[in-house]
Amino acid sequence: MLLALLRAVKGPTVIDRLVAINVIGTKSIVLLLFAGILFGQLEMFVDIALGYGLLNYIVSIAASRYYQHRRCLEPEPPAGREAQS
Amino acid sequence: MMPSLPIWQFDLPLLVLVVLFAVVALSIRNLMGAAIVFGAYSFMMCLIWAGMGAVDVAFTEAAVGAGVSTVFIVSTIYNTSATMKRRPGGMAFKLFIGVVVTVAGGFLLSALPDFPDWGDPNSPVNATVAPYYITHSIPDTHVPNLVTSVLADYRGFDTLLETVVVFIACIGIYSILRIEPARTSIDETDEEIAAPASYDPTDSLIVRQASRFMVPFMQLFALYVIAHGHYSPGGGFQGGVILGASLILLAVSFDLKFLLSRWREKSLMLLVATGVGLYAAVGLACLFMGGNFLDYGTLDAVLPGKQDMARSHGILLVEIGVGITVMFSMLAIHINLASNGRLERGL
Repeated sequence: MLLALLRAVKGPTVIDRLVAINVIGTKSIVLLLFAGILFGQLEMFVDIALGYGLLNYIVSIAASRYYQHRRCLEPEPPAGREAQS
Repeated sequence: MMPSLPIWQFDLPLLVLVVLFAVVALSIRNLMGAAIVFGAYSFMMCLIWAGMGAVDVAFTEAAVGAGVSTVFIVSTIYNTSATMKRRPGGMAFKLFIGVVVTVAGGFLLSALPDFPDWGDPNSPVNATVAPYYITHSIPDTHVPNLVTSVLADYRGFDTLLETVVVFIACIGIYSILRIEPARTSIDETDEEIAAPASYDPTDSLIVRQASRFMVPFMQLFALYVIAHGHYSPGGGFQGGVILGASLILLAVSFDLKFLLSRWREKSLMLLVATGVGLYAAVGLACLFMGGNFLDYGTLDAVLPGKQDMARSHGILLVEIGVGITVMFSMLAIHINLASNGRLERGL
């Protein structure tokens, strides 16, 4: 998970970041369920994990939509980003 | 209920990770990366809440902190800029801030020994009100999930005002960001986020179909969360966030026009007010029935069941009100943030 986070932060390309977001989300769901088994309240953690998974899906789509729009706006991202800031 | 593990096996690594994520999120220059790290930070907080046995708080953290607020941050970045400018110089000012923060933190840390131990049975919280809630919740309200009964019944005033706070936040964002299109037709900032010329709306067929498939299930799950909040983690806030998120998903995967053709702006704001109104109306109804404000027990004349079941149903009504407000405020906040207040196109 830390490695995926590193990729999301450094990520030379946009694809790296997007895949990293997805991997973090998926691993989080599994971790939540493991925590549920650990505490012996699996039925409650299933709810939390479901909610987390559903919202993580939106985050992934929003992030990819963001990159899609930005890409179209600026043909060469490094130069365009600097110019915009 | 409580984990059998000692604190350091589960909580210590998590706390270290939380601090690490917080530092990383503050030090990253790319704000998109910071938003992602912030989401991971929220998830760690969610695990910590879960470790303390506060599953409702963990649920809220997962829904709000990791889900919707990340979307809000992304759409804010979309309308501003993803890179951060550091102001050169100002060393003395930074030093001053550093000293202030260190002194304040030192004061806070010096107060730490006065706190009761973690899970101490003699701490004021555990010794005074908690036993009352634990022993009275089931006979009073028939609600096994203490958090729900405390939130919506014993502490109903607090929750009413929290809902009002959500309402006010929505109104505030609305009045700051919303621009009438007619007044901005000659605004020069229109070119800033112009519709990409090469953008083909049909290129995201998979996303559209997947979202179309997902939305009903999300809404069903959200309704379950609201209605089943008496027995499991969840309630109006969490369910409302998930309901709002399902509509945000529609707005993100299709476009804002599609969503606004379904939900008129005026009816949307009206519904935000309706939720708070429903909550307050339940309270007023209690007043008319001869009880105190938000004393659901007096509603047993109109609601089925005896006094305890009436309180349970009153909690449900109130949770529905909270859910409506939260759902539509999330949506209103999102559409304003994503389109910079123009409600035309956006993230």
